[in-house]
Order: sequence, then C-alpha cells, then structure tokens
Amino acid sequence: MSIDDSNQLLKTIANLLANGLETKTEPFPETDKQFADVLTELRQLDQNDIKGKLVVGGFVNHPYGPDQYRCMECMYYLVHRKWCDLPELAVPVEPDWWCRLWRI
Amino acid sequence: MANLLWLQGGACSGNTMSFLNAEEPSACDLVTDFGINVLWHPSLGLELGENLKKMLNGLVSGQIPLDIFVFEGSVVNAPGGTGEWNRFAGRPMKDWVADLAKVAAFTVAVGDCATWGGIPATAPNPSESVGLQFLKRASGGFLGPAYKSKAGLPVINIPGCPAHPDWITQIVVAVATGRGGDLTLDEFGRPKTFFTSFTQTGCTRNMHFAYKVSATEFGQRKGCLFYDLGCRGPMTHSPCNRVLWNRQSSKTRAGMPCMGCTEPEFPFFDLAPGTVFKTQTVMGVPKDMPQGVDKTGYIKLTAAAKAASPAWAEEDIFVV
Repeated sequence: MSIDDSNQLLKTIANLLANGLETKTEPFPETDKQFADVLTELRQLDQNDIKGKLVVGGFVNHPYGPDQYRCMECMYYLVHRKWCDLPELAVPVEPDWWCRLWRI
Repeated sequence: MANLLWLQGGACSGNTMSFLNAEEPSACDLVTDFGINVLWHPSLGLELGENLKKMLNGLVSGQIPLDIFVFEGSVVNAPGGTGEWNRFAGRPMKDWVADLAKVAAFTVAVGDCATWGGIPATAPNPSESVGLQFLKRASGGFLGPAYKSKAGLPVINIPGCPAHPDWITQIVVAVATGRGGDLTLDEFGRPKTFFTSFTQTGCTRNMHFAYKVSATEFGQRKGCLFYDLGCRGPMTHSPCNRVLWNRQSSKTRAGMPCMGCTEPEFPFFDLAPGTVFKTQTVMGVPKDMPQGVDKTGYIKLTAAAKAASPAWAEEDIFVV
C-alpha cells in the first residue's frame, strides 16, 4: 500500500471511530484460545472489510483500560508506518488508539 | 588414558547423534588427541552379550577403572519402581546406573532426559522416568541430592534436546585431561561456562528485541520471536547463539523460536495444543518476562523503545 493510500485509509478509519462506530472492546481475549478465536473471526472477513475489522478487533480512538494501554506500546505497532502489523488486521492506526488484540 | 562408558536409558538417541556430529573436538579427536578410551557406546561399542556383561561387571567391581560415566536418556523406573521396562545386559538399566555411578570418577548426564527427566518425565510420566540427579526442577532424581562421584562432583548436567555436540565433547575433554576440578556448576549442575548466558546472547534479532519489533510468522528475518511466537531465548540459559549449531546458525537466527530446552521445565506448558509456539500472556502481557524484568518496567521500556526506534527496524534489512 502506498503512503498516500495508507494516509487516506487512516483518515477513513479515524472518521468511522470519531462518528461513534460501536466495536467489540469486550470481552478482552485473556487466553491464547480466546485470542485465536478473535483471529479466526477476522480471517472470515473480506480483506477489504475495514469496518468489520474495526468492529471485531474492538478498536477505539483513545487509550484504554486502567493502565491506559495504547497501540504505541503494542508489539504489532510499527511506529514509523503508523501501521498495525498483525496480519489479520494490517491497517493504519494512530499511536493513541487501542484494540482488544493489544499485546506487549 | 581415561576410560569412558556411555549408556542409554529412556532415550531417542538424539544426543548420540549430536555427539557423533561434534567438530571441536570431534568424537574421533577424543580418542586420537585426548587419550579417551571409549569402552562402550550404544552406536560405537563392539562388545555384545556376555562380553559386554563381563566388561560391565568388571567396571562395577573396580577391576576396570571407570573414569567417565556418560548417561543419555531418562532412568526408567516403571513398572512399579522395578525398572523392568528398560532392561539392559540381563538386568534393569537402573541397577547398572546405580552400581556404575558408585565407581565412576565423573558422572555426566547428557540431554534433558538424563538431566531432569525431559519429555518422558512429563505428566503423566507412564515410564516413571527421572533424571540422574533431578526430576524437573526438584533436586534428587535417581541418584539423590547428596550424590557425588568419586572425584567429588555431583552429576555434571549437560542439558538440551539434544545437547550441542561441542558442549558434550568439550566437557568430556576437560574431565579426561584432569581439568574436571576446574569446572564450576550452577545450582542445576550445569557447567557455568556454557549455561550462564542466555540463548538470546548473540542472537541476531537483538536489535528487534530492543526496539520491540515483533516477528509475526516463522522464518521471517525481521522482528523478534519473543513477543508473539513463544521464543524463550531471553529466559533460557544456553550458548546456542555463541556456539552455533553446525558452525552456521541457530534456531532463532533461522526464524524459529527457542523452546527453552536447556531448562528443567522443558517441555513447557505440557505441550498443550497452541501453547508451544505462542507467547503466553495475561491480559496481553507476557506471563514469562525476560529474566529479572518486572511488568511495570517492561511496559515503560516498551514505550521508550518504540518511541526511539529507527525506521530501519521495521524493514527487512537482510534483503539486498
């Protein structure tokens, strides 16, 4: 994906979240089995179904939880590309966002 | 000339295969350059049947001095503590082990099964397997916690699944050439010269570990295997990235996670499906941190590392 396309998609996602898109932030997949179940759900989506990825992934456009976790600390986040590198998501994201597939 | 006897208990012969591939020194060098007399070995020994039994009895009686007793595989006690499931030269192997360990100047356990029971001793442990002086992390094993060979050392444990060939031959040479007394062992009987540093020490992915960039698939050249793929390199004591395998590479260099096979708990998580090559987490935070690191420090370090990471850390820098 080109930088321009990535930036455009980032804007689209930001708008969806700013406009109150309801996503599945809970339940947080505490175990690897639960984590794998969310990944399975994501794999069943069309690769271009951005809204579906945001909903199943449980995206929010702000830090989350008592420890205020955010994409910035997540292992899948690529800082320079502003990109989520989890193959099942593979979307541009802002560092202060969060989703329930967060891992450190 | 130092007499060496190598026996196998509950074993897959993996450590024998490893030993026969040693390079520095090689198995042949042990004989030609270091004066080691290999009395018998499962893959090299010439004696069979009554001749072998006669030799073993000669060792037990002290008629033939036993300088180095190497044991590979677990000590099998089943069924019901008799050891009958693993008979050798006319009696349970465990009885030979008990007798030979009493007369050996040095006793060396090679591989996880001999050191702490390994895979055979994983629950439910139907073969009632134990290591020579440990059962997993618990001291004791078959010979008991107080066991010392005639030279005054406990069992020298060279763990691994398998142990690296050169760990085996270098320790054997040290013992055979009179430097056994110089060996310092850790609390699990492992020679400190090999088992003080971590598998991660020397790993080519250390910069990705430092900048918190994760590998997401096996064989990827970019990224650290610890964050997602279950690599135990940061908490496993071994020199796998200092003494390379086949003089070429290591699991982590090739893109496969370390499974922690030199630690007493191996195999971790009882090999439950989905646990081996997946970093185990609690609410997204690894259950097992790099040794000496706490959760708060880890999260702080991650934030700082991510913020400081250079752009190249996100690229596959090995592609020309």
